Amino acid sequence: MAGTTIVVTSGKGGVGKTTSTANIGTALAMHDKKVCLIDADIGLRNLDVVMGLENRIVYDIVDVVENNCRMEQAMIRDKRYDGLFLLPAAQTRDKTSVTPYQMKELIEKLKEDMDYVIVDSPAGIEQGFKNAISGADRAVIITTPEVSAVRDADRIIGLLEAEGIYKPEVIINRIRVDMVEKGDMMGIEDMIEILAIELLGIVPEDEGIVVSTNRGEPIALNDKSKAGQAYRNIARRIMGEDLPIMKLEKESFLSRFKKLVGLS
Amino acid sequence: MSSVFSFQAVTDGVLMNFRAGVNFEQIKSSVKLHAKEAGDFFKGICLYINLNGVKLTFSEMQQLMDIVQNYNKVREIYFTAQQSTQKADSEGDKALIINRTLRSGQMIKHFKSIVIIGDVNPGAEVIAGEDIIVFGRLKGVVHAGAGGSREAKVAALKLNPTQLRIASLIARSPDDAYTAELEPEKAYIKDGVIIVEKL
Repeated sequence: MAGTTIVVTSGKGGVGKTTSTANIGTALAMHDKKVCLIDADIGLRNLDVVMGLENRIVYDIVDVVENNCRMEQAMIRDKRYDGLFLLPAAQTRDKTSVTPYQMKELIEKLKEDMDYVIVDSPAGIEQGFKNAISGADRAVIITTPEVSAVRDADRIIGLLEAEGIYKPEVIINRIRVDMVEKGDMMGIEDMIEILAIELLGIVPEDEGIVVSTNRGEPIALNDKSKAGQAYRNIARRIMGEDLPIMKLEKESFLSRFKKLVGLS
Repeated sequence: MSSVFSFQAVTDGVLMNFRAGVNFEQIKSSVKLHAKEAGDFFKGICLYINLNGVKLTFSEMQQLMDIVQNYNKVREIYFTAQQSTQKADSEGDKALIINRTLRSGQMIKHFKSIVIIGDVNPGAEVIAGEDIIVFGRLKGVVHAGAGGSREAKVAALKLNPTQLRIASLIARSPDDAYTAELEPEKAYIKDGVIIVEKL
């Protein structure tokens, strides 16, 4: 089985790369896919915390690259899904501990028995980013409805093309319906017009994300959350399903009433 | 194991002294085990093997050389013969005292005991050849007895490590049950498992 490697990147920090990586990985594992998440943010690792696996780390990616351990020893099996693994970053080292070539070799080996390898890229466009994108077959760009995040996403698309990764897809994160409706926030169409790439999904702003991050339980596990639903949809689109983008209208009393009596 | 040889810190590494009267079989088996348990604890430093008072045949010497090669990533291995200077305390013989809080990404490594006056935050790492004592909250990763010493202990005013290792054993804090108040505890090995008890 030769899997697909997907890099999750953004350029700008704090837009939700790590949250998205954890949730997409979890949602793919729900469909019985074999998934390995790689934290490429060496020195500022977070993915282990978001996945709630921090206290299981013994070896990390730098140990694998330096041959201090075998790959299987560093891979941490998820608490909830047997097919989900995490290859954590080192915390006491820095981005230069791994080269893009080593990263590529490692991913090639990992791909052999995984359906998906998802790489969580660090913010920025320096070595950490270059490590993260080496070996990627597909790229998912995370952005938020802010001019600065869209600007950085645009820059990243250019850099990915230069590295031979064409046709990246975008996830627009932290959309607030009320603000878009009032015209205070960039609309989805405006952003797609600027970036001119395929839309993989939109994720509404959700307070539940904060709770789930702090507890180490990805929100994709939560049936009631809209953000969780959004990530589960994104995973299905990654697997090739043609799913319409979630409608994010605020349900007014009137429309709820209409639905109730069967008028719409 | 520790009764067959002991370590002494020198300027650029450690000196391995054999106890008087041990035979080659004892040396062979204990050094072999120690090299395995030490992992890469001796990374980047020099290892001095003190042959003072030890008589080895040619083939025994060859066997010993094969065994000490298993020490991972040491800078250089020297064979020397010098009077044991156990009594003279050099700098490295003492516990290392850290007078600040260790934050995520910071790592402290020392061949003897480490005393930290401050907290050890999640993401920080403390690795000691002997004991680790934290006058504060211990929430990061600690490894006591990293050279293979199973007698090593870990004590803290609040013992809530991400992971606690002693010699080659690993334990982690329970997922729930975190309280903010301080309750001094210590961890040590008893009957092959890590035990935690109130101080």
